[in-house]
Amino acid sequence: MKIGLFIPCYVDALYPEVGVSTFKLLRSLGLDVDYPEKQTCCGQPMGNAGFERMAEPLAEKFDTLFSGYDYVVAPSASCAAYVRFFHPNMMEKAGHTCQAAGKTMDLVEFLHDVLQVKSLPARFPHRVSVHNSCHGVRELGLSSPSERNVPRFNKIIDLLRLVKGIEVMEPERPDECCGFGGMFAVEETAVSARMGLDKLRRHMATGAEYITGPDSSCLMHMQGVARKQGLDIKFIHVAQILSSGL
Amino acid sequence: MSTSHAKQAEAYLQNDAVATRHDATFYGVRQKRDKMAQALPEWEQLRDAASQIKKHTVTHLADYLEQFAARAEANGVHVHWAKDADEYNAIVLDILSSHGVKKVVKSKSMLTEECHLNQHLEAQGIDVVETDLGERILQLMHLAPSHIVMPALHVHREEIGDCFRRLGLMDEVKDVPVPEDPNDPTCLTYVARMHLRRQFAEAGAGMTGANFGVAETGDVVVCTNEGNADMSTSIPCLHIVSMGIEKLVPDLSSLAVFQRLLARCGTGQETTVYTSHFRGPRPGGEMHIVLVDNGRSTILADSEHWQTLKCMRCGACMNTCPVYRRSAGYSYSYFIPGPIGINLGMLRDAAAHSGNVSACSLCMSCDQVCPVQVDLSQQIYRWRQRLEAIGQANAMKKLMSQGMTILFNHPALYTATLRLSPAANWLPSALMNSALNPWARGHQMMKFPKKSFHALWNELSKKS
Amino acid sequence: MERTQQEIMNSKDKILAALRQNVRETYDMPELDALEGISYPDPVAQFIQKTTTTAGARLIEMHAGDDVNSLIRQAYPEARLLASNVPGVEAQMNPDTVSDARELMQVDVGILQGHIGVAENACIWIPQTMRQKAVCFAPQQLVILLRREDIVSNMHQAYERIRLSSEYFRDYPFGTFISGPSKTADIESALVYGAQAARAVTVILSD
Repeated sequence: MKIGLFIPCYVDALYPEVGVSTFKLLRSLGLDVDYPEKQTCCGQPMGNAGFERMAEPLAEKFDTLFSGYDYVVAPSASCAAYVRFFHPNMMEKAGHTCQAAGKTMDLVEFLHDVLQVKSLPARFPHRVSVHNSCHGVRELGLSSPSERNVPRFNKIIDLLRLVKGIEVMEPERPDECCGFGGMFAVEETAVSARMGLDKLRRHMATGAEYITGPDSSCLMHMQGVARKQGLDIKFIHVAQILSSGL
Repeated sequence: MSTSHAKQAEAYLQNDAVATRHDATFYGVRQKRDKMAQALPEWEQLRDAASQIKKHTVTHLADYLEQFAARAEANGVHVHWAKDADEYNAIVLDILSSHGVKKVVKSKSMLTEECHLNQHLEAQGIDVVETDLGERILQLMHLAPSHIVMPALHVHREEIGDCFRRLGLMDEVKDVPVPEDPNDPTCLTYVARMHLRRQFAEAGAGMTGANFGVAETGDVVVCTNEGNADMSTSIPCLHIVSMGIEKLVPDLSSLAVFQRLLARCGTGQETTVYTSHFRGPRPGGEMHIVLVDNGRSTILADSEHWQTLKCMRCGACMNTCPVYRRSAGYSYSYFIPGPIGINLGMLRDAAAHSGNVSACSLCMSCDQVCPVQVDLSQQIYRWRQRLEAIGQANAMKKLMSQGMTILFNHPALYTATLRLSPAANWLPSALMNSALNPWARGHQMMKFPKKSFHALWNELSKKS
Repeated sequence: MERTQQEIMNSKDKILAALRQNVRETYDMPELDALEGISYPDPVAQFIQKTTTTAGARLIEMHAGDDVNSLIRQAYPEARLLASNVPGVEAQMNPDTVSDARELMQVDVGILQGHIGVAENACIWIPQTMRQKAVCFAPQQLVILLRREDIVSNMHQAYERIRLSSEYFRDYPFGTFISGPSKTADIESALVYGAQAARAVTVILSD
């Protein structure tokens, strides 16, 4: 199985260790992992800001780079969701059929649903609070949305439970938005920061040492708010926990 | 690059206690709604059915309106058609004037807010009395609703008590002992009860909205907890219904689906206390239905937004919206706030209400609670794409997006920038954390690592 | 007036024409028979539970040999003025003969005949069977009589009965579901019974 590794722009620039963990984890599971070096961004920042037209060439580029792989895997639920649900429409406008979108997955759903990983050598003897990111929950279905009457599940927690020594917690309001939202965070600074602070307090009320999740963007936002407010909590991407010990 | 909503919200959030309470109040309603959803095994099927019925109805609306109007007329109801707010206001005024009505009691109707009916009638010397307790409180305090279902929850008991005392409402009630808390909600509600029951007795006409119109039977269905719509229509002999044309459902079997969803989604109750079917005038009375378009037929032509016509105004999207809960109704420029209000405001007047389009983090929770599955967040995303064309795009945001586009479209430039980005760590923190940098208003700036993933890949791939 | 009438006709035609013109894609009506509402092993028990908890009403189970008038008096011993047109119920005022609905605002207890009880939400269907429907709302308290056999599980079943009945809406063009006393939470979300209509409701359940 040939995997195209999609490392979103901000992970590339700010959290390269998340990319490294993802790569190591996939390789340890016996996969052939490739990283097309000409990749940049899926276009979501512009789309959410109201300039989807500017993101259209990026969707085309993405598709060219990634259409040859069996799966495209990204350590970012929100970016994977943007590719899967927005790229096809954008390319359709230019009369093109999107090849990569249907094969693009977040790391958690890939491990859980495709590889169906049942054991990992990982060990992480800490209490963590799980951050269910909105697009992970409501677009990719990484966990059951609290609004719906569907059987309860959480694929992130399923995977974390494979890690030795870990204690997994969830905050109150387990899938309320942290207030990042891309351009939302710079356009609605007051509400965004307030949402971030509220979310941080609920995570911290679990007594967790770490907040973990499948989206570095949410973690980046909350980390920025936490540092500004002087709150003492650590942040770690799910990929880093699952790959611990590799 | 703050929008009108962002500015209002920032001011609102200055009062931490008020904002915290507002958020907790409406999240509480959302949780009550969740309990209702979890208690019914058929919940998601109900939502599917509701959405499909509404899609069917609004795409066959002309036929259903004709059927409804014919039924209602056969039932002895006077049916009027208003293409816009002016025509609607004129029709209502004409009915009231021709009956010599000086005072009208009115149960809650968002349509009358939309058309500014009260102001229009009051200018003609007609006393308009809102009878929903929340609406009456707001009317007496000269405030606008902050929510479409629970319009006055942002007002505190002390303010209500002060208002009632100032207006002498307390003096009308002699038989109740004064409680320890002079602003006790039970006591204030009793005072309002006595005040409002006198209004019903004095009024020459009762006005209601319509939660549903049943095409098959001509029924107007009105749901309340207080019974104010029923008091308004069983005491005065003249009943005027104001109804948006999208309120129709085909038949009683469809109605069951919506009746089951409305209160569960809106307030977290299995039902409203009263679900009343008006099929004709009272003995010796008159019933009028005013069917109002006011832009609705135009919305039907909008391929991206026509499904807002499915909305039954339950307010669930507001209660779950993390932005609404933290910014409250007055932060929005349109009289309907929250996710549905952002969309309806844009449909009403995009230039006037584009300042609300920022009030969404695209968390998509509203899409999941909506009983008729309006794709609210996706519609907001699509409005953002239209802002540029209507000249409402923010220049700074556009510049940032253009910058990103150049960067992301040129991999060589992108990787070169990545190599340089750690240098940003060395910029003076006074600059990076200044007010000029909007990110820094709520966040400490992030630190760039020495090497990007792009740079690390070469090492990783060599090792393997 | 003639001209106004003409204008209104124009508006009707304009609205209908715009709607017909603006439809882009039509959708079929879903098959609602497939939608099965919740049902309870014991709908009567569920109805009683809902009535006495969330609906905030009282409920009296009538047994063989019980007299309905003494049950009403037991429910509201201080009531002086009763209003009803239900056969066999003793009342000082009859909503069929009251000329001014406002008189019913002085009533202590209105007594109504319920026709369908709904277990999922404690709703009781009360078709208008009296000249002044104000008796359903204006009295300080209500007593609603209901037969056990008239209780269904959910609103789908209730509306199916209403749809099939020729009795409702026959004499008067109104009917209402009532679930407990009038209530409000408009002041700081505090639940208060007795907003504008009946402050208390007692359901008398008989065989």
